Amino acid sequence: MAYTEEELKKELETKEYEYGFYTDIESDTLPKGLNEEIVIAISKKKEEPDWMTEWRLEAFRAWQEMEEPEWANVTYKKPDFQDISYYSAPNKKPKYNSLDEVDPELLETFKKLGISVDEQKKLAGVAVDIVMDSVSVATTFKKTLAEKGIIFCSISEAIQEHPELVKKYLGTVVPKKDNFYAALNSAVFSDGSFCYIPKGVRCPMELSTYFRINQAGTGQFERTLVVAEEGSYVSYLEGCTAPMRDENQLHAAVVELIALDDAEIKYSTVQNWYPGNDQGKGGVFNFVTKRGLCEKNAKISWTQVETGSAVTWKYPSCILKGDHSIGEFYSIAVTNNFQQADTGTKMVHLGKNTKSTIISKGISAGQSQNSYRGLVQVNSRAENARNFSQCDSLLMGNRCGAHTFPYIEAKNKTAQIEHEATTSKIGEDQIFYCNQRGIDTEKAIALIVNGFSKEVLNKLPMEFAVEAQKLLEISLEGSVG
Amino acid sequence: MKNNSMLEIKNLHASVDDKEILKGIDLKVNAGEVHAIMGPNGSGKSTLAEVIAGQEEFEVGEGNILLEGEDLEELSPEERAHKGVFLSFQYPVEIPGVSVTNFMKTAINESRKAQGLEDMPANEMLKKIREKSEMLEIDRKFLSRSLNEGFSGGEKKRNEIFQMAMMEPKLAILDETDSGLDIDALRIVANGVNKLRSKDNAIIVITHYQRLLEYIVPDFVHVLYNGKIVKSGTKELALELEEKGYDWLKEEAAV
Amino acid sequence: MDLKEKLVSSFMAFEDGLDLDHPVHEERSNAMKNFETKGFPTKKDEAWKYTSLRGLQKVDFSIFPKHETTLEYKDVKKYFLHEIDTYKIVFVDGVYSSYLSETTHDGVDICLMSSAFSKPMFQQVIEVYFNKAASKDESLTSLNTAFSKEGAYIYIPKNKMPKKPIQILHLATGNEAALMLQPRNLIVAEDNAEVQIIERHQSLTGNEVFTNSVTEIFAGKDAIVDYYKVQNDEPTASLVDNTYISQKRSSVVRVHTFSLGGKLIRNNLNFYQNGERIDSTLKGVTILGDKQHVDHHTLVHHAQPNCESHQDYKGIFGDSSTGVFNGKIIVDKIAQKTDAFQQNNNILLSDRSTINSKPQLEIFADDVKCSHGCTIGQLDEEAMFYLRSRGIPKKEAKALLMYAFANNVLESVRIPELKARINKIIADKLGVRMGFDL
Repeated sequence: MAYTEEELKKELETKEYEYGFYTDIESDTLPKGLNEEIVIAISKKKEEPDWMTEWRLEAFRAWQEMEEPEWANVTYKKPDFQDISYYSAPNKKPKYNSLDEVDPELLETFKKLGISVDEQKKLAGVAVDIVMDSVSVATTFKKTLAEKGIIFCSISEAIQEHPELVKKYLGTVVPKKDNFYAALNSAVFSDGSFCYIPKGVRCPMELSTYFRINQAGTGQFERTLVVAEEGSYVSYLEGCTAPMRDENQLHAAVVELIALDDAEIKYSTVQNWYPGNDQGKGGVFNFVTKRGLCEKNAKISWTQVETGSAVTWKYPSCILKGDHSIGEFYSIAVTNNFQQADTGTKMVHLGKNTKSTIISKGISAGQSQNSYRGLVQVNSRAENARNFSQCDSLLMGNRCGAHTFPYIEAKNKTAQIEHEATTSKIGEDQIFYCNQRGIDTEKAIALIVNGFSKEVLNKLPMEFAVEAQKLLEISLEGSVG
Repeated sequence: MKNNSMLEIKNLHASVDDKEILKGIDLKVNAGEVHAIMGPNGSGKSTLAEVIAGQEEFEVGEGNILLEGEDLEELSPEERAHKGVFLSFQYPVEIPGVSVTNFMKTAINESRKAQGLEDMPANEMLKKIREKSEMLEIDRKFLSRSLNEGFSGGEKKRNEIFQMAMMEPKLAILDETDSGLDIDALRIVANGVNKLRSKDNAIIVITHYQRLLEYIVPDFVHVLYNGKIVKSGTKELALELEEKGYDWLKEEAAV
Repeated sequence: MDLKEKLVSSFMAFEDGLDLDHPVHEERSNAMKNFETKGFPTKKDEAWKYTSLRGLQKVDFSIFPKHETTLEYKDVKKYFLHEIDTYKIVFVDGVYSSYLSETTHDGVDICLMSSAFSKPMFQQVIEVYFNKAASKDESLTSLNTAFSKEGAYIYIPKNKMPKKPIQILHLATGNEAALMLQPRNLIVAEDNAEVQIIERHQSLTGNEVFTNSVTEIFAGKDAIVDYYKVQNDEPTASLVDNTYISQKRSSVVRVHTFSLGGKLIRNNLNFYQNGERIDSTLKGVTILGDKQHVDHHTLVHHAQPNCESHQDYKGIFGDSSTGVFNGKIIVDKIAQKTDAFQQNNNILLSDRSTINSKPQLEIFADDVKCSHGCTIGQLDEEAMFYLRSRGIPKKEAKALLMYAFANNVLESVRIPELKARINKIIADKLGVRMGFDL
């Protein structure tokens, strides 16, 4: 039966109405799928200048030609890139009227982490008036930074307000065609942070508190750019330490750090996105590209505690371009249940007298797979390069796996590289010893794991370390029967 | 007469991998007493110590272990510790990354929790640590090192006694605490142990040699051989053993 | 025509000369199919990331050399370990030389693959062991399997031990401008048997040689096998050595690889532990100069509980040489109480030399002791100073320290004369005049 034109029109009108009903809430969400129009639309929504739109399009065109990498030691069902909506306004999260409506399991975790009730409300998306306080905190915070000439804002804001800086540095460390996920991020990044520390300035506070209060939801395709001018210093804490129940399946963030002569950037991450349930259902795919560039005498230090996500693919790296520059990577990766992590670092020594240190602690439990993958490369002109790497794995139970894939490439005879790796388990005798001193088995494991991870935990800023320690405990709960 | 029994072991049998190691031990230790258990290698001394502490590796067959009249059978090692059982290990294990202080803090607070007490206030803990470490002539730097990691034999043993001092147990079992100690360290450790002796607690000293017993003078000496206590006596028995060795006892036991 | 095409098209001609009803025939055909599909590995293959065979594929290798040469023992004596009495299996341009060889069937079989393939008395061993350890997936191994015809056949029955060590020597005369050789060795040591084998590939001229060798070693329960690979060839000789070792309960297999010369050397050394309480030892000394390239690719697969493996590879790289160490240890879920140790230490001597090291662990069992260590560095400055303060000039001190660095791998060599020989080669290479220790 054919429609009459009249009928068709009528039906379309009702449909429109149906959709229209949601328009108020979802007007900021683009339809699923990815093509040039979508990329342009994202750029337009953010009111970006033409050069930015063009930059995104170039990345998109490159991405189309690329293939999703398969070399990592992880298996998962590849996301359907046409089944994702690439732009949705923040705060799409459900709003609750009180904490009683929030998932009790989530609240339990908040409690274990020792997060205040007000903050719990904020993080869970409960509307509270305390936000006013937070905003004022944030405002004073911003004022202090502004006095020092520090710029700390969203990347969208930076594109509008400081285009010359963004233009100069964006994509210089992670080129838009660097890899599949980086290209995707470059094309569609929704938002992220921009941080600029002027010459000779020591940022007086950890750039984290602000983040935690104000940007609980950071989106799927986060883009971060940190520029530390000559002789400056900044310590940057990324991510929510709170256990965000982020149900977005795919995360592909890009972080670029630029440390100019004599500058130092300390970048700490605690990641505990939803790892999927204990049957391995659901959970976040976390495909991140993080890289820093060190000029002369500069230092970049990555510290990460990875306990979340179903699949993690992440290699925070340092390009040690300048003479005497230093790169550091301290990592704890915990996998439990069916989680898979393939993480590590790349230390590329280009300059003379460059130094790098890698300390990686992998803890596997349940049926998870935990891989360290790292590259230490000493180029032919990198006289007197030094590297020390230590990769330790701790296995809990007999159904998980720990893997170490270090690549060591040296082209200079003055290089000194040391790599050590060990694999161990928690000994029955260690547990008994603790038991004998009155410490129960669960607590004993927590104690031993914390001890195992200590060299890395020590690198975290104080308040972060305490939470990270608790996170380790929570992630491993029930891992020993 | 008031019953002041601290530990009572009745006809205790224990085995590992179907091999019986303890073959019927009877032992009664009253509060305020120090007992020494001696015997040749492989007689079951360390097994006895670990069975009392609740090591699950051993299968306990017949028999009972009573602490202040309470049967320990169903209790986990940590519950026994909470009730005041302390074992100074012959071979203390290493726990990398966990400092002595942190370990003690955890242990003490877990025991307090089990007794329904709040965590020990930090200043009190610190005061106690200072006091006990001075008593055992332990350098403060030592306390921030990883538990037993890279410790010399003597340091490990001294650390065990330090933990004993911190935890103030009712029943302390010292399993070959003298091995690996030079004479000065032995004197310090023994001195520490003696300071902890009181009418309210009891100590079992397991050793090969009479030497330690010159410093920690026992009220009773027992000889363990082939899973049984074959002879008991006073401190003079230890001297006799030192002089004559164990062979005469083996012969006696064989009859 | 490139090398792959040439090999594929020669296969039929090769088969013509063989018994097509022989059970091995099917193995050969299947292997050829695999090689045809996969071809030569390229740098895109993770396992060949650091070693390229492209150059070799451009050379017009002769695959079936015409054999006319007679060699005098005195001309090749220096390539033998002649200080001691040994059995010898010698091939000249891939063809067995009875004149230079000394084989035996006295209680043990030390002879040739060609006989083992054709004579009924060996058929059972061939059926049980041939191509059972070798990879059916790896393309170069398949290529060798396809052309498998000649090589050393060593069968040591239960509780036996040959009276003396065995030398396998592959000589290339240079009669062909460029020669490709594909020897295939089968070594079986039955339960409680013991054997010591030295293998060497040697080109006698500056003509190009490319050897793609496969050796299968089976060690029965409590068997002990010592295998020494001496790789000190001409700068125009390339070698891909594929060795597969299958071990049964409580057996000990030790493989020492001395890579001291050649153009391109790739050692694929694979250990499979199929029983408890096995001991596998892999040791290597590599000293390179010029534009030489050595790639050690090891795999130790711990598939049963209570086994050990020890790997120790030392490398010294001068001039524009390149070294690769890619060592993988896999510990299966059931392989509890595994004790796996891997060490790779390297020294770069020149600004143009390169080392790529990739020591990998893949562990699925929790009660294991696994560790690997890798260093790239220079000589210990303090030790240098110490020696110089005792009056030893810098150059000699340096040589002495390098010698000491490489030499400790030799401790486990059980043939004293071989140890002395390798010692001397190392000393010569490093310019140390050793008036002692020989």
